[in-house]
Amino acid sequence: MRSVPELPSDPSGDSALVVACREFVELVTEHLEGTLPDDVERAVHTHLELCGPCVEFLEQTRATVRLLGTVPAPTLPPAARDRLLDVYTRLHGGRSAGEA
Amino acid sequence: MDDDLLARLRAGDRTAFADLVDGWSPALLRVARLYVSTPASAEEVVQETWLAVIGQLDRFEGRSSLKTWVFRILENVARGRGRAEARAVPWSSAFPDREDGPTVDPARFRGPDDRWPGGWTVAGRPQAWVPPAEDAAVAAELRRQLGNALAELPARQRTVVELRDVHGLSAEEVCEQLRISPANQRILLHRGRARLRTRLEDVYRDREGRGEERA
Repeated sequence: MRSVPELPSDPSGDSALVVACREFVELVTEHLEGTLPDDVERAVHTHLELCGPCVEFLEQTRATVRLLGTVPAPTLPPAARDRLLDVYTRLHGGRSAGEA
Repeated sequence: MDDDLLARLRAGDRTAFADLVDGWSPALLRVARLYVSTPASAEEVVQETWLAVIGQLDRFEGRSSLKTWVFRILENVARGRGRAEARAVPWSSAFPDREDGPTVDPARFRGPDDRWPGGWTVAGRPQAWVPPAEDAAVAAELRRQLGNALAELPARQRTVVELRDVHGLSAEEVCEQLRISPANQRILLHRGRARLRTRLEDVYRDREGRGEERA
């Protein structure tokens, strides 16, 4: 996963918009969600090209999200799960798997 | 993909059903907890949901995704149960933890008169996380701290972060499940993630302070 997005190919466009670090940290979620308006997204890309600490901040946010994906979450007890599988097999299991 | 899965489920493919139960039960349990007051009730709600799914599988018409359909069944089951437990509080008004203001300490940024207004100060700059969060030397401790920090989040932020990042629901699924707007979902996700990143940053700073990362 690349941490620095590409610069827009047309940097001569409407580039009045500038993002400071203080602003970037509040835009990082929308940047990751892909929901920023185009001009803001362009300004964010430009900022990230120039700002190592904000690239680091972005990477830390991504690392946090990745780590959240590994936090253990409770699931059904094995006995309950097995009971469900048995009910399922009793109701649907009579048919052969190939005929779908 | 849904069609293929559905065909296998209807054909009695036990493995396909087991994968579904294993894959979705944690998220279903989490959503059930929004309606009922104990983990045991939530487990019953989820079991009842799967039983309903098994029973109605042949009647599912595919107007929504399979996942949406399953979560809708859960919601109906849980609502009934929640009412019985007199806990059917509308989620979005139940926890007034609305907050504003910056998610990163303003002291870490330069002032308006600085040459680079709003830029990181030298001391405030984020430092690289070494070793990376996935490294076995730190992962267990970080995961533990993350679990604690999650538990301390305001309820709405916690719910959104868990559904999105722990259980892998999409933004659309979270909005539908919680009846919140996309903008609201993003704000809650942003504030929650920001706090969690800060907590992990603190863990790294403490390690640094204890001189464990001099290599």
